[in-house]
Amino acid sequence: MELVLTTHFGNERYRFAETYEQLGGYGALRKALSMPKEEIVAEVRKANLRGRGGAGFPAGVKWGFLPKDLSRPRILVINADEGEPGTFKDRLIMTRGPHLLIEGIAITCYALEAHTCYVYIRGEFVREAEIVQEAIDEATAKGYLGKGILGTGFDLEVTVHLGAGAYICGEETSLINSLEGKRGWPRVKPPFPASVGAFGLPTIVNNVETIADIPWIVTHGGEKFASLGVEKDGGTRLICVSGPVKKPGVYELPVGTSLRSIIYEHAGGLRDGKALKAVIPGGSSTPVLRADEIDVGFDIESMQKIGTMAGSGGVIVIPEGTCMVRALSVLMNFYAHESCGQCTPCREGCGWLAKVLHRIENGQGRNGDVELILEVCDNMLGRTICPLADAAVMPAQSFIWKFREEFDGHLREKKCPYGNRF
Amino acid sequence: MPNFTLNGISVDVPEGTTVLQAAKTVGIEIPHYCYHPNLSIAGNCRMCLVEVEKFPKLQIACNTVVTEGMVVKSDTEKVRQAVTGVLELMLINHPVDCPICDQAGECGLQIYYMKYGLHKSRFAFEDKVHKKKVQDIGGQIVLDAERCILCSRCIRFLQEVTGTSELEFFRRGDHSEISIFPGRPLDNQYTGNLADICPVGALTSKDFRFKCRVWFLRGTRSICPGCANGCNVEAHFKEDIVYRLKPRRNDDVNRTWMCDPGRLEYKKANEARLLTPVVRENGGLKAEAWEAALSFAAFRLWETVEAHGAASVAVIASPAFSNEELYLARKLAEEVLRTPNVGFSPRSSGNGLSDDFLIKADKNPNTRGAQLLGISEEKFDDIVRKIEGGEVKALLVFGNELADFPGERTAELLSRVPFVAQVGTNEGAVSLAAHAVLPSASFVERGGTFTNHAGRVQRFWMGFPPRGNARGGIEILVGLANRLGAGWTFAGEASVFRAIARSEAPFAGMSYESLGELGQIAGGKG
Amino acid sequence: MSLAFSEDTRARHERMLARYPNREAAILPTLHLAQREFGHLSAEAIAYVASLLGFTPARVEGVATFYTMYNRKPVGKYHLQVCRNLSCSLMGAEHLIEHVAGRLGVRPGETTADGKFTLSTVECLGSCGTAPVMQVNDDYYEDLSEDKVDAILDGLR
Ligand SMILES: Cc1cc2nc3c(=O)[nH]c(=O)nc-3n(C[C@H](O)[C@H](O)[C@H](O)COP(=O)(O)O)c2cc1C
Ligand code: SF4
Ligand code: SF4
Ligand code: FES
Ligand code: FES
Repeated sequence: MELVLTTHFGNERYRFAETYEQLGGYGALRKALSMPKEEIVAEVRKANLRGRGGAGFPAGVKWGFLPKDLSRPRILVINADEGEPGTFKDRLIMTRGPHLLIEGIAITCYALEAHTCYVYIRGEFVREAEIVQEAIDEATAKGYLGKGILGTGFDLEVTVHLGAGAYICGEETSLINSLEGKRGWPRVKPPFPASVGAFGLPTIVNNVETIADIPWIVTHGGEKFASLGVEKDGGTRLICVSGPVKKPGVYELPVGTSLRSIIYEHAGGLRDGKALKAVIPGGSSTPVLRADEIDVGFDIESMQKIGTMAGSGGVIVIPEGTCMVRALSVLMNFYAHESCGQCTPCREGCGWLAKVLHRIENGQGRNGDVELILEVCDNMLGRTICPLADAAVMPAQSFIWKFREEFDGHLREKKCPYGNRF
Repeated sequence: MPNFTLNGISVDVPEGTTVLQAAKTVGIEIPHYCYHPNLSIAGNCRMCLVEVEKFPKLQIACNTVVTEGMVVKSDTEKVRQAVTGVLELMLINHPVDCPICDQAGECGLQIYYMKYGLHKSRFAFEDKVHKKKVQDIGGQIVLDAERCILCSRCIRFLQEVTGTSELEFFRRGDHSEISIFPGRPLDNQYTGNLADICPVGALTSKDFRFKCRVWFLRGTRSICPGCANGCNVEAHFKEDIVYRLKPRRNDDVNRTWMCDPGRLEYKKANEARLLTPVVRENGGLKAEAWEAALSFAAFRLWETVEAHGAASVAVIASPAFSNEELYLARKLAEEVLRTPNVGFSPRSSGNGLSDDFLIKADKNPNTRGAQLLGISEEKFDDIVRKIEGGEVKALLVFGNELADFPGERTAELLSRVPFVAQVGTNEGAVSLAAHAVLPSASFVERGGTFTNHAGRVQRFWMGFPPRGNARGGIEILVGLANRLGAGWTFAGEASVFRAIARSEAPFAGMSYESLGELGQIAGGKG
Repeated sequence: MSLAFSEDTRARHERMLARYPNREAAILPTLHLAQREFGHLSAEAIAYVASLLGFTPARVEGVATFYTMYNRKPVGKYHLQVCRNLSCSLMGAEHLIEHVAGRLGVRPGETTADGKFTLSTVECLGSCGTAPVMQVNDDYYEDLSEDKVDAILDGLR
């Protein structure tokens, strides 16, 4: 099986420039520097590389939104906020193969004629940020970053910027505000970052994994990358499997690999002989699937077809015996805690959902509470500045739609049948 | 000029207009809280949702720029349901105790939830998120954070207009709370605007708080008399008491703002008023009927001219009076008394406060008007010298003070003049010394025009008739002039302004109609 | 004002400022530096950062209270932050939190009397594959069990 990213992740020294170089690293950058810029962008388009941050927007297309004139400097921002519950892949790239990211940054900035890049790393990742910084320093010393990269006239400065604890800062415009030293409030759009982004300049925000794929695409060509995946969704993806499976972890798999095989073959199936009850496939914000819905390819369109999303590739496995009301309550606490508080529907709605689920879970639910939840969801969905409100609504609705009986049971019996425990 | 369709009506708008702005121009009201015409777009309240053809989701009207052929609907069931939903969510954590809220009657929340038939959110919890109770946060403002709907207007105002950023949201999500940093109260001269822009009762005016329920108030369009900027205002009053001034939008002058000292200018209409004509004879003061007071003053002026010649009479006009009054004062001096001694009292500094935004060091509303009407400031010094030299035997003074002179200086100067008549609104050093006090109407009790520092001629309107026995300055001047044989036929400020427009070059071609609500620049450029 | 950065931090701060086009962007990194230097971000620390960068304390407080990692109240020498999100919960985080709370005699949000430990619950730490997870100051501790936590706490004494 062809791997794009993780081939050498088992090698402890791969995170150092020397080993990375010995294993062919920075060859793609050399090649890219000799290519016309448009050709690099064209290869990325051909690669059908869809953003790995969650929204799945085609990277090459996004790059095309930059204004044509070069009068204003452009900025590349790497989204290393990795906040979506169930997702832990960018951390792996940053610790095991930081030079993949750096090489990707250098190529992308060269192609987009950006001379400034900020890597926005979530604040909790102190150690990860240290490793990335070390790698940046090494790369700068070796001439892959900084002034006149590899003897060309191309300059690039890369700065690590640490977040400080806010899931919402993974949303790209919130991230930009946070980078600018503001409260992490998402911005109203338009204008979009490609025209007015960080510090008022045209800005492209891409996920760590998205950019780490770039060197391979330059080396092997876009078509080759595309062929690894499915139509309109190329390459491999890092799939994160968590929950009580035998081998939780990150798996690099061709886009389109079936969810069943991800859980049962790659992650080894559930532990302790437990049965599967449900799966959240693409991080906590994506609609939940029942155990009988997992025969689906892990790619953006197949997931969409069955009413869920590939998201950021965070597969959360929920075993039989789990109280779905409690599980949802945990998630709603999360969204209430993380809503930036800007939009009325999200601020009030998320807090309200959390409180009502808490009361249902504790046996104090009132008749009609479930209908009220669905109504509040309707009042939140698609009504806000950023998709966080939707991210809260999608699990709420899908949990109720697919596991309604458990909610009604709590109301009927005025207690949690699972004893308020996981 | 893109053309679009709003609720079936075809509308042409200038390039760059948003749906919300466009709706206003055709009288369609789209509910909104966070949008403010003079602040950046925040898009956070989500009240202005509308349907835009080709967009699957509802869009916010405040940030949707009209494009050619766009089809927008703000009156559908889907929109109504969405707005109701937003309101209902907004009420989750909002106290519903309007009867004890000072904002009642002009609260955006109250207005809309009554309009949308909501009284209490079905989602409301008994345990709302509690925040700090009512506190004085400095300037003219008290804050009740629990009533805040987090629209961020106040924050944007303090960032974008004053640049002082004293208020911020602290924490996040439904624990977000508007607050000052402890020990750092509001520190700018524009705090009163916060009470105006806050759509609910979170930021209210300390000065106005609980003084009067707003539904008892009536308003009139006016001009702040506090300085040469001429901020457009609305004066709110009940019967003959003025309760507050609020800015009135004029993007060329004050946008939607005014300064804190200006907000307190209304007090001059209520306090220390001269309300009845008074005559001082043989050392005693006597209230008089107007006829008698005017006749007395006219007689003494005539007598002085007869006895000592016209040059022994002087007129000190005031830049606090309207163009119409100043014009008549000049005319009285030049054509009736035939004295060269007419100047205006340059009360130039007041408290000296000024900035590069609205507040001007010149604390008079009409200095520029006096200048454009050819009344000179230098002449004032000349008249003062003549008073000191004993040459002035009769004096007609407008206003309550002479320049910025201390009271003793004014008293001393005026004691040298055998006859002083005053046309003034408030008690002051001049009224204490005057032999005839002719009480004139406050700025809310008469109409007229002021010319601001930039030469903009702006109208103000009468809210209610002069208090007590006071009279409009025009009426007083016509009364005096005609007793001196002038035969003036002016009736009302409009007729005087027509005369000004005919004879005074800088005002040529102007009329009250052409001035409209927002005024015009004098003399093309003044 | 008595609080001030040490020479060393000042130098780091200067270098950091050079990475950004304006001082506003330096607010987050400066707050990080201040928290490291002063332990937590007291009102005084907020005012210091504000004056250092030329913003009102309200602006800086607004930023500081938006982000959960800035501690406006003092925390213990070891800040135990146990993930309570779904993957960790499925792997026993709730029990783990109870265990740690019982052992330290504090509830989440509290600090032990000796000032050594503060226990907090936090949202997903981005390490769900090795759940349950806890962060102690800058370091992650993964694949936790009660025994493992006990050993860790013993090591932190
Ligand atoms: C609430 C929310 C949280 C997000 N968190 C992340 C994140 O942690 N990491 C990430 O890369 N993208 C995140 N995104 C997606 C970004 O907004 C953006 O789409 C992405 O960074 C673009 O990069 P990509 O096109 O390479 O995926 C989040 C979006 C939302 C709405
Ligand atoms: S949807 Fe929620 S998180 Fe997003 S901007 Fe609005 S309030 Fe903030
Ligand atoms: S205090 Fe008033 S103006 Fe300020 S955010 Fe709250 S509701 Fe808006
Ligand atoms: S007025 Fe448009 S979102 Fe508030
Ligand atoms: S759920 Fe605990 S680290 Fe992600």
